[in-house]
Amino acid sequence: MIRFSGRLRSSLIVGLQGIRARKLRTLLSMLSLFLGVLAVVVVQAGAETAQRAAVDNIELIEGKDGTLRLFMPSEPRIVPMALETAKLRPDAVVSTTTQAVIGEPGVVPVNPGGSPFDQNWGGDWGGGPGFRVQCDESGCRKVEEGPQMPRGQAIELMLTALSADIRQFKPFRPEAGQWLDFTSPPSLAPRIVLNREAAKGFSKHRVPAEMRIDGAKANMTPQIIGVIDDGQGQPTAYVRFDELQNWMDASAIAQRSGIEMMLSPQASDLITIMRSKLVGIGLPEDSLNAQPVRSMQQVESQLALIRWLFLGMASLVLLIGVAGILNVGLATVGERIEEFALRRAVGTPRMLLAGIVLAETMLTGLLTAGAAIGVAAVALDQAGRFVPDSFPRTLQALEFPWQAAVAGIIAGLVAGLLGGLIPAVRAARIPIATVMRA
Amino acid sequence: MTVLVQLSGITKTLRGQEEPREILSGVDLTVQRGESVAVVGRSGSGKSTLLSLVGMFDRADSGRYLWRDQDVTRLSERRAAKLRSAEFGFVFQRFFLLKHLTAAQNVAMALVNGQGWLPRRKRRQKVIAAMEKVGVAHLAKQRPPRLSGGEQQRVAIARALVREPKMLLADEPTGALDTETGNMVIDVLHAATVDEGCGLILVTHDWDHASRMGRVMRLSDGILKPDFDGRARP
Repeated sequence: MIRFSGRLRSSLIVGLQGIRARKLRTLLSMLSLFLGVLAVVVVQAGAETAQRAAVDNIELIEGKDGTLRLFMPSEPRIVPMALETAKLRPDAVVSTTTQAVIGEPGVVPVNPGGSPFDQNWGGDWGGGPGFRVQCDESGCRKVEEGPQMPRGQAIELMLTALSADIRQFKPFRPEAGQWLDFTSPPSLAPRIVLNREAAKGFSKHRVPAEMRIDGAKANMTPQIIGVIDDGQGQPTAYVRFDELQNWMDASAIAQRSGIEMMLSPQASDLITIMRSKLVGIGLPEDSLNAQPVRSMQQVESQLALIRWLFLGMASLVLLIGVAGILNVGLATVGERIEEFALRRAVGTPRMLLAGIVLAETMLTGLLTAGAAIGVAAVALDQAGRFVPDSFPRTLQALEFPWQAAVAGIIAGLVAGLLGGLIPAVRAARIPIATVMRA
Repeated sequence: MTVLVQLSGITKTLRGQEEPREILSGVDLTVQRGESVAVVGRSGSGKSTLLSLVGMFDRADSGRYLWRDQDVTRLSERRAAKLRSAEFGFVFQRFFLLKHLTAAQNVAMALVNGQGWLPRRKRRQKVIAAMEKVGVAHLAKQRPPRLSGGEQQRVAIARALVREPKMLLADEPTGALDTETGNMVIDVLHAATVDEGCGLILVTHDWDHASRMGRVMRLSDGILKPDFDGRARP
């Protein structure tokens, strides 16, 4: 260990002395290598940023990596059962989604079908006003709705009822106001939090505070308490389950869509419990569908090919830099024959001579990597300032990924190693007799 | 007295592009601790080759080399490097000081050679001590191009002495110096031999310098024998 430490230190000291003595050559080597290392850093930074953006989006919509999603059928008895099971578990959230219209009663909403506001999904499905889509076990079909309703000041949106704070699974980003408070007593005027698209609609259209949901006992007066970014393009609102239950019974809630339960990976025991309960009420065992969220795996597999393709191209650029280091290294060793012979004469082992040359080229690679990482980090910081607001927040608040820095350092060191290998072997082979014959 | 070098029946044939030429033919040489030996001879007589063999830069074709009673005739490259670092000091005709290093860094070069590790403070102490011995401590921060030939050679001697060697090998150390500076360098080498008690083999063309050594040997036609014409120093 002591010997290794001594050799390592010796090669680093002599290597640094060599770099300081030949600043121009070091600079030329760095120039030839810079583009290659920069290419690796940029590709890695781009891939990591894209991956992060994609994962962030998936996490918002599907949930964090590893989260367990349990899908249960539309069955009225399941709602209280699921709520009861999740009640005392902080790592489980029950949710269900239904359609709601906020605004004037008896009108066709400004976004029929709950479409985004700059799109027209045509809630009438091309059949013209007076028709609606009805779905049941046999499928969906267009049915006559009766007398044609006029378009009016109402907004249709998806309403998601939550039994607890879902942000532990879906990291919604707060935009304005506040998130649902699950610790306070339920309110008769359901408190809702809008997503960005819904908020856009409410800022564009003035609508009365009256919320209609099919199957509700009466229309409600919602309180909009906040806005979040949930990654959804469709107008959506979030409400506490218990506040919705003040106006709808379980059978009505479960009628429109199925029940979903989100669990942390540690709460997998609830799967068995829920499955037993479903079997207990006479449902088949496979009526409960459990799926883990594999956002990272999904994104990685999507980006892997592109990443390797670009890294391959960057490696080609890096090879040009390696050739530059090799060229300068060979020329330098040729000039330093006497120095290396002298070093051998004073007892320096051949391996250390090779180590000195490698230390020089690898330090050059490291310096180049430092420069390339610095340039890429500054460029990324500047680029982040010009990203439009419409882009995902991940892209607006660009951060230089540490993986890109690591890739840059590895690229610099590997380039230094490859470029210095042949000069190092030559240096180690210089005979001591050179100093005797001089 | 401790015998440092004991060569017996050493032969060496140089094989280059020309016909192989036996340059050493059964050389015998013994050098004891504190003894100085001058080797004289014509150019190409094999003086430097002899020094290469003693310094383990090269191997003899035949014969036996004992270093402090240890057979080192067929020593591995790695062990030879270790031995060179620990027990030998070399002074060459051309000083071989690295221009980009200061005088002190040039001396320290013999300590930063991967054979063990000395902390910076100890290294500096040793360097300054070696430079003081040869009277160039005040030039520690100067770079070689700013030093005279004599000063450069004394820095090179300090580099040879810094590891406190048991044997100094000097290959025409005054060849590139004027007479007066050359005498000064020989004084320094001789003092190092006497003060440090190490052995010295001096290869030289200069009779005056050779005659100041304890023994003068002449290498001629591959044979090393005492030179009775030289004025040996008691």
